[in-house]
Amino acid sequence: MSIAVLSIILIVLLFAFLGAGLWVAFSLLGVGIAAMALFSNAPLGLVMATTMWGHSNSWALAALPLFIWMGEILFRSRLSDDMFTGLSPWMNRLPGQLLHVNVFACGIFAAVSGSSAATAATIGKLSIPELSRRGYPEKMVIGTLAGSATLGLLIPPSIILIVYGVATEQSIARLFIAGVLPGLLLMTLFVGYVAVWAILNRDSLPMEDISATFREKLRRSRRLLPVMLLIGGVIGSIYAGIASPTDAAAVGVVLALILSWSSGTLTRASFVDGLMGATVTSCMIGFILAGASFLTVAMGFTGIPRILAEWIGGLGLSTFTLLAALTVFFVILGCFLDGISVVVLTASVIMPMVQQAGIDPLWFGIFLVIVVEMSQITPPVGFNLFVLQSLTGRDILTVAYAALPFFFLMIVALVLIVIFPSIVTYLPEQM
Amino acid sequence: MRHALNTIYRLAGGLAASFIVAIVAIVFVQVCLNLADKIAAAFTGTGLGLTIPSYADFTGFFLAASTFLALAYALRAGGHIRVTLLLSRLPTRAQHGFEIAVVAIALAMSAFASWYIILLVYESFEYGDRSSGMVSVPLWLPQLPVAFGLIILTIALLDELVGLLRGRTASWDGKGENLLSE
Repeated sequence: MSIAVLSIILIVLLFAFLGAGLWVAFSLLGVGIAAMALFSNAPLGLVMATTMWGHSNSWALAALPLFIWMGEILFRSRLSDDMFTGLSPWMNRLPGQLLHVNVFACGIFAAVSGSSAATAATIGKLSIPELSRRGYPEKMVIGTLAGSATLGLLIPPSIILIVYGVATEQSIARLFIAGVLPGLLLMTLFVGYVAVWAILNRDSLPMEDISATFREKLRRSRRLLPVMLLIGGVIGSIYAGIASPTDAAAVGVVLALILSWSSGTLTRASFVDGLMGATVTSCMIGFILAGASFLTVAMGFTGIPRILAEWIGGLGLSTFTLLAALTVFFVILGCFLDGISVVVLTASVIMPMVQQAGIDPLWFGIFLVIVVEMSQITPPVGFNLFVLQSLTGRDILTVAYAALPFFFLMIVALVLIVIFPSIVTYLPEQM
Repeated sequence: MRHALNTIYRLAGGLAASFIVAIVAIVFVQVCLNLADKIAAAFTGTGLGLTIPSYADFTGFFLAASTFLALAYALRAGGHIRVTLLLSRLPTRAQHGFEIAVVAIALAMSAFASWYIILLVYESFEYGDRSSGMVSVPLWLPQLPVAFGLIILTIALLDELVGLLRGRTASWDGKGENLLSE
């Protein structure tokens, strides 16, 4: 059998497994088993056992459960309330007024949480009822939230960047810092869009009249102080090189516990809920990574990634064409798969091709995460859409339509980081 | 029997959670020691050299133990991600059939993986493999929870398969995917 036929068999098998509803981790393991059984005489079971063990005990990966837990604790705290109160007085001058609270609150929460669905849920549970009560158009309320919540993936700490870093052996600290400027870029684009939209649609917006004195504003913003300190402590210590992401995450968990204890939201029940939620989520991701690491090794035995890389190299595509093709491919894949699966599949199969094309793996990680962000708001499988669907009671297509402008803004951001790669690489180079 | 199995899944889940707490504890204490070290260095000119020996290794071991021990618990809580898009469009009877097939496939893989992990642990024990680092532990020790986790997962999948074949619904049914997972 030729390698092309075998590749097709493996792809069909992968989609059959996934489509039938087999868990992602098992689907990856299954394809790995098939690849090794068909392509090599290496001792399958032993390779599988050693890879699964070897890749699941790792110091760098330990940051993952900790950041997830930190997000779970803050999700159960009074943080979203504090953010709304603290941010809203500052948004009066901007056209679009309180719609910007969504963007900024998501941006800030993204800096303490590594997850986009958690960001959407935390900010949305407060801002959706509040903004609809004040008469803001539903489409913009949902859209800003769906779009901005995806920042959870890009602004450090980021769970998906940890997964990418571990799967491709990149420094997680550098990936985190590389995500900062693109995250701010996206926030700027979102704020700009909301402002322009508000100027063009003055009639459909309510007139807010919360004129507060500067003193009053400062007094209300005091409630933002604890979360700002948390962000500063966690991200600052990574950037300053004092702490590795795992160290920073442990400190973050302790600070988040103190924060929620001092605001009176830490109960025995909320502690156990948060901890068990974090245990389940990190187990799910850890198991997928174990499956993916075996698939990567199995793929190495088949030689498919190398041949794919040589084939793409032989086509002589420009980097731009290659990236455009990859974007389309990932967006389609992301319509059906969750972000973590897209990232681990990329690491197993596509990475050699990317490196062959001379693309910086650090830069590519950020590029990939923005594409995954886009896939969070494309139907039928988009986790932010699911969260907003359950928060608003609207059907998924309505939510997706509201999020569409933000999808295009992310494409703009992609084009910008392709043209100006230093948006990504500038900060890590300063470390 | 039912009670005993549920207790095993919950115990393993609780143990997995306590390993995460242990990671936070060990890393946090180390960060505090680093800080004390820096302060001491600033005052006296020399650091105290405070480190928990091999703490990075232990963190990794705890992580592996947590991930694998939680497998069955996460399975039953609907925590493992899968694509339910096509499945949810099918009539209930067909869904049930697919569920049986999927659980059977997963069971076969889980049993296969368990067997080879047990072999790995046995080999580590037999050859006396030890971890590198200041505090060197026999490798079979941290590998043991990984093996236990996979065995418990295999038992849980078998448990589900029997239930499904008897016409019951799966324990993760209706619990949905963990939406906050990403």
